[in-house]
Amino acid sequence: MAITPNYYETLYITRPDIQEEDLAKIQQKLQDSISSNEGEIIKADKWAERNLAYEIQDHKKGTYYILVFKALPNASKEVEKHLQFYRTDILRFITLKTTEEAVNKNKASEEKKEKTEPTTPTPPPAAPPTTTAAPTPPPAAPEPPTAAPEPPPAAPEPPTAAPEPAATPPTEAPASTEEAKTENTDTQEEGGTN
Amino acid sequence: MDSRRDRRFFSKKKVCRFCTESIEMDYKNVDLLSRFITDRKKIVPRRNSGLCAYHQRQLSTTIKRSRFMALLPYTVLH
Repeated sequence: MAITPNYYETLYITRPDIQEEDLAKIQQKLQDSISSNEGEIIKADKWAERNLAYEIQDHKKGTYYILVFKALPNASKEVEKHLQFYRTDILRFITLKTTEEAVNKNKASEEKKEKTEPTTPTPPPAAPPTTTAAPTPPPAAPEPPTAAPEPPPAAPEPPTAAPEPAATPPTEAPASTEEAKTENTDTQEEGGTN
Repeated sequence: MDSRRDRRFFSKKKVCRFCTESIEMDYKNVDLLSRFITDRKKIVPRRNSGLCAYHQRQLSTTIKRSRFMALLPYTVLH
């Protein structure tokens, strides 16, 4: 039974401060191990540079590189062996078997993206008008304060309380409560005099 | 019968998103996977995610792969 080549996808994270020479050396080794196993590299890209979800070897950031290749099963083993060897520079790696369809699909979607990307820069000119219109919404925000003054009407109930503490409730409330208070105090004084 | 009449809450029947929509599950697709994670970064159970058995199994492995590659956190406590 002949061993048929498979499709593999390797994703590895390098240290953010890796030397370019070291990276080139590692990538060369990966390439060699694939080509020595009747393989071909379909894609070898820098995928992203992002913050790691958790620290690995005290690194908070990492650079992700993706490598898609078609080769005999031995190649994936060799690739992993090399990545393991340079584990000071390579924080994590994962190799998964994929299918030809998935690889082709990804290729097609990427080509689509590349086609759409040049067209997308046109929308930005249209965007600035919205920024000028944006400043209007803020005035709508101060709604909550109007809802807040509800409690104060309960305050005037204790007639012994002096008018001064009633001034603490916010914004619109003081005017109404002060009036109520003064009325209350007036009646009290009248009652007192009488 | 009474108890049945009193039941007023009708939950919409959930259909597996991965079956109905043609989305590929990929451990590199962080935005998609993060929707199936709780605030505490746990994998959402099937009763909440609404996925079928097959895709829930796939989801759990892809999330775990994603965690290994530091794309998703294991816990909040990192």
